[in-house]
Amino acid sequence: MKFQLVSEAEINKLREATMNVLNNIGIATTSDKFRSFLLDNGCKEKNGRIVFPQPVIDKALKTVPKEWSITGRNGDRVVEMGKNKANAQVCIGMPSMMDLDTGKRRDATLKDLEDFTRLSDALEFIDITAPIFPKDVPQESLVTLEVATLLRHSTKPFRICLESHDEWPYVYEVLVAVAGSEKELKEKGLGYYEVSPLSPLDYGKGPAEAMMDVIEAGLPLGMDPAPVMGATSPITIAGTVVQHMAELLVGVITSQLMDPGHNVIVSPRSGGLMEMKTGVALWAIPEMGLGGALNIQLAKSWGLPAGCGCYTGASKVADAQSGYEHLYNALIPALLGVDVCGSAGSVDNALIGSYEMLVIDNELSSVIKWTIKGININDDTIALDVIENVVNGDGNFLGHKHTRKHLRSGQEIWTPFICQRAPYETWEMEGMKRLEQVAKEKVKEILATHEVEPLSKEVDAELDKIIKKAQEALAG
Amino acid sequence: MEKADILKKLADAVAEGEEELTVELTKKAVDAGLSPVEIINDGLTVGINIVGERFGAGEYFLPDLLLGAKAMEAGINILEPLMVGGEREYIGRVIMGTVEGDLHSIGKNIVINMLKAAGFEVFDLGVDVPTSKFAEEIKRLNPNIVGISALLTSTMRKQQEIIEFLKEQGLRDKVKVMIGGAPISQSWADKIGADGYAEDAIGAVKVAKSLL
Repeated sequence: MKFQLVSEAEINKLREATMNVLNNIGIATTSDKFRSFLLDNGCKEKNGRIVFPQPVIDKALKTVPKEWSITGRNGDRVVEMGKNKANAQVCIGMPSMMDLDTGKRRDATLKDLEDFTRLSDALEFIDITAPIFPKDVPQESLVTLEVATLLRHSTKPFRICLESHDEWPYVYEVLVAVAGSEKELKEKGLGYYEVSPLSPLDYGKGPAEAMMDVIEAGLPLGMDPAPVMGATSPITIAGTVVQHMAELLVGVITSQLMDPGHNVIVSPRSGGLMEMKTGVALWAIPEMGLGGALNIQLAKSWGLPAGCGCYTGASKVADAQSGYEHLYNALIPALLGVDVCGSAGSVDNALIGSYEMLVIDNELSSVIKWTIKGININDDTIALDVIENVVNGDGNFLGHKHTRKHLRSGQEIWTPFICQRAPYETWEMEGMKRLEQVAKEKVKEILATHEVEPLSKEVDAELDKIIKKAQEALAG
Repeated sequence: MEKADILKKLADAVAEGEEELTVELTKKAVDAGLSPVEIINDGLTVGINIVGERFGAGEYFLPDLLLGAKAMEAGINILEPLMVGGEREYIGRVIMGTVEGDLHSIGKNIVINMLKAAGFEVFDLGVDVPTSKFAEEIKRLNPNIVGISALLTSTMRKQQEIIEFLKEQGLRDKVKVMIGGAPISQSWADKIGADGYAEDAIGAVKVAKSLL
């Protein structure tokens, strides 16, 4: 499947503008380590900012891997990047949850992180886990606990976001303990590791040095700043995509300068928009879908693996609005070849986690993956002989082997997970349930039954020790 | 131009967010013999109030508000050197900053502009402000309200730390504490014992006025 949002000439215009930002406007950074590294590698200072001469950019972009993969702790769950697969990823960093029983917003807890992760583990079309932000645990050593919790409650690869250098040694220790050794960790990756510089074009000390930690450790890097159109980036989609692409490329360039061939993905969040009455950041339709998709088309023009915000919307609950917002924002980038569809299981502009929405997003992910897989066109699927055979025979296709064959193949007809498609009478008899109710029941069923293959007792105990050590060392 | 005419045009310039025109008209007003207080009260403030009204009526959006506030500030910058001091009257004094480890300024700045437009005197401590700095500035400036902003889920705990530190320093009873930021909620405000929280900048002004 090949779709384009804008023409090749327009993409070239955006590429030139992106280079212009890097060549002439550049970035700010408060990290001396990052600043020296860039200056030692051909970058220049201009008005206190750091700019990237074209030869530096060209050299770096030559070595970026177009395809790579990450593997979960058991070795059987692999996520491929660069193959336009629209891998669905749980939303990161949500500080609140929609309570499954009361239907009201409340603080996220460690129990939520465990349950949300276990639910993600069970859902077939959710490929990558990520942590919500529990508030009932020590916050200074949160990432260590989060990574340990993700690894305990799912065997799927994860995505985390690192904010500073200070906590990295403990996070790394958890990763090595679970992978078995540094070598095995490098091979599997277990997940990918993102940092989030500030828009516009500001690499603070925390994200800049965390980024260098990830590259030094030989682990897959992701770049995830989140501009807000009209506030931290231009209000125009084109301007936002250009500024944002430049921000993302700085991470890509750094990774290649430090370690040519380093696995890296860009995670543009173009399309986030400041609601100009209240100042609330919207991750809504249509800007999020269009901005994400344009950024994906641009990133892919350099052959970069790329993901975007996909399963997002402004609705506060898992309702019809969330359904159409999430589908719109995910499907357009997916048609343009996105590698990762983020924000699954979120409502309220990715600020609140919703168990029901995670189940609904799983369904959307299923149909989106089905869609981008494409339609099989060959003599067998065109079925001229079958048509002739049937019209000259008993007049219907129901009893034809061709029908049975393709029904069984799983390649022609999509099978829903929670969509209600039974006859009206059946639906009425079963209580006239709305989809949200079906999703909620599915959540309860999965949480009551799904078991994740546990870590070994030794590793589990080791994680407890590391978490304790991190909490003691980092307590403010 | 008549004095009244200059003041009306000045109010319009602020209402339309025209910074250069505001500067030009402010200078004209001074040349015409109007006092700084007259120019502020009967020109600039009239303009910023129009901005507030239009915002309330749904005709104006946040960029209009910021451009209006910028225009007003540009006018005041010209008048300040001419004032004897202490001539402006504010409805309250606020200091605001983003917590340590957090470099986000947009939300804070919107609230600051809204508060200024509503007649508060606001001191901006900037971003990445250490906990101790909040306490020092409270001692130095004796504000009615301290506003603490945090955008990251990882930095919001600093709001709690600051409140606790103010208690230790015996400053908590001297000032009202307002908190804000994307991950912040009323339940978090209640939990850490903040006096005020609002989901957006419009709400923040209402809460600030109620705390005076």
